[in-house]
Amino acid sequence: MERLIEILEEIQPEIDYTTCTDLIDGHYLDSLSIISLVAELEEEFDITIPTVDIVPDNFNSAENLWTLITRLQEES
Amino acid sequence: MFAINSYFSLGYLLLFLPVSVGLYAILPQKLRRWVLLSSSCLFFWAISGKLIAYLVFSVFSIHHIGVWLSSIQQGCDRLLETAPKEERKAIKAQYLKQQRGVVAFGVIIHIGILLVLKYTPFFAENINTLFGALHIPVTFEIPSFVLPIGISFYTLQAVSYIFDVYRRKIQADRNLIRLALYMSFFPQIMEGPICRYSDTAEQLWEAPRIRYENFMFGSQRILFGMMKKMVVADRLNLLIKTVFSDYPNYDGFVIAVSAVCYTIQLYMDFSGTMDIVIGTGQIFGIKMPENFERPFFSKSISEFWKRWHITLGTWFKDYIFYPLSMSKPLKKLTSHARKRLGNHFGPLISGAIALFCVWICNGLWHGAGWNYIFFGLYHFTWILLGNIADPLFIWITKKLHINRNNFFYRCMQMIRTSILVCIGELFFRANGLRAGLTMFQKIFTDFSLQTVYDRSIFTFGIDRYDCLIVLVALSIVFIISVLQEHHIQVRKQISKQNMVVRFAAYYALILLIVVFGAYGKGYIPVDPIYAGF
Repeated sequence: MERLIEILEEIQPEIDYTTCTDLIDGHYLDSLSIISLVAELEEEFDITIPTVDIVPDNFNSAENLWTLITRLQEES
Repeated sequence: MFAINSYFSLGYLLLFLPVSVGLYAILPQKLRRWVLLSSSCLFFWAISGKLIAYLVFSVFSIHHIGVWLSSIQQGCDRLLETAPKEERKAIKAQYLKQQRGVVAFGVIIHIGILLVLKYTPFFAENINTLFGALHIPVTFEIPSFVLPIGISFYTLQAVSYIFDVYRRKIQADRNLIRLALYMSFFPQIMEGPICRYSDTAEQLWEAPRIRYENFMFGSQRILFGMMKKMVVADRLNLLIKTVFSDYPNYDGFVIAVSAVCYTIQLYMDFSGTMDIVIGTGQIFGIKMPENFERPFFSKSISEFWKRWHITLGTWFKDYIFYPLSMSKPLKKLTSHARKRLGNHFGPLISGAIALFCVWICNGLWHGAGWNYIFFGLYHFTWILLGNIADPLFIWITKKLHINRNNFFYRCMQMIRTSILVCIGELFFRANGLRAGLTMFQKIFTDFSLQTVYDRSIFTFGIDRYDCLIVLVALSIVFIISVLQEHHIQVRKQISKQNMVVRFAAYYALILLIVVFGAYGKGYIPVDPIYAGF
């Protein structure tokens, strides 16, 4: 989780990722930031994020992202 | 007098909608869905007549394609249950290939019909021009087709359904009536919102009972939409028509004012229509996705497009941008570029390629013309530049100790975004790309305040009285927008007041439309702008 927060801060600083729950709905992350994020997450956590999982629910908070990462790690 | 040709026509507001709502209210639940379906067919028929055949074909084809995809998926699942682990990958790949073939078939049919009907004249014209320039003695006859109403909207709904079944986000629907309702629901068929199957299909099939609260809130929203359209959009129409069709005779200031007025008109017309659409849905108890989220409070062009025509933006994002940027070749490119250019600029290359495709499609979706393609590329450029320059801006503001969350800094960002949007809309509305470029040039080379000094600016279509009314209406919209931005639900707040205050607010709104609506002699109501796309 700590590494995830670090990655998020590298991509878009100025956001408190421990409390923010509307990263997509609140327009904090745009689609280009998401490509950066997906590329970084796939490399860092050795996962493949399918297009169908790129939905606001999965990306709205660091916690939801962490849930997605752990799920994909278990599936692979 | 009672023709049904738009959501603002008397025939629709005083006859069609009340009769549909009345029948829906008195009939039992099982018959309500038939009221919705027959009203939808009647509405489509009233506007496009026999062209309803295109919609019927679309419904049948997505029904068939969905069932086809589902049977392939079931076949795959059955095999996977018993297959040894080492064979599973090959089985999945084989069935995926089959599914992709079916999806491609479905998408080619739907997008193909749209391309032929909407874009053949544009392509034929350009090929003729190209052949002329190359001195090739071949000329194609330029065909012209009559488009069924809402084809650009329901085609995207059909394609989203096919993709969602393929991605297993939804189950294929074997119920043809439910699919027909999803595709044809009359409040949204003309101008969207572009709904996903999971947004509305089940609700429409359920056809819930009309509730008092929904009826009141829905009616209020319809009135608010009428106010935006009839008091503001229609009132500004004469000035916009006059200046845009005769721009060589106007100076840069008048052109700039017209561009701002057109941006306001487009927003008031489209968001006003959405208020009517979503309000009508609410009366029936159907919750539709929002299409606007106060776009002029955006701090960047990228944010603007997350707040303006939201359902179109998310459609492009889900079905073009992410599939492209997450495709194998672009992912490979991203991983190479990240090693050389770092984590910010590396993914930007594949993002830019996908974004470019999205904006070409976005421009062309709005219309077959070079000015629409330019409009798309204009927004693509600003979004890309914004992303490239973002780290630099963060660095500069840090060095200058400027708080980026400061109110004035945010206001400056909003004003900058609004100016960029107005310039884009100038090209969007201009009669061709050349006219747009000339008009834009005139703002700088022929700028003069003479029309303000001699007051002649009030003779081009709107006088001082019109300006005052528009400003009052815009102030109301602005105050409501600020409240909504602070998560205050205006209609809920009004409903909590006592009866006198409540009805005073409702009557004030009705009075505003009746007294200050731009209808009758001397006014040209603006055609539903987005219905033309």
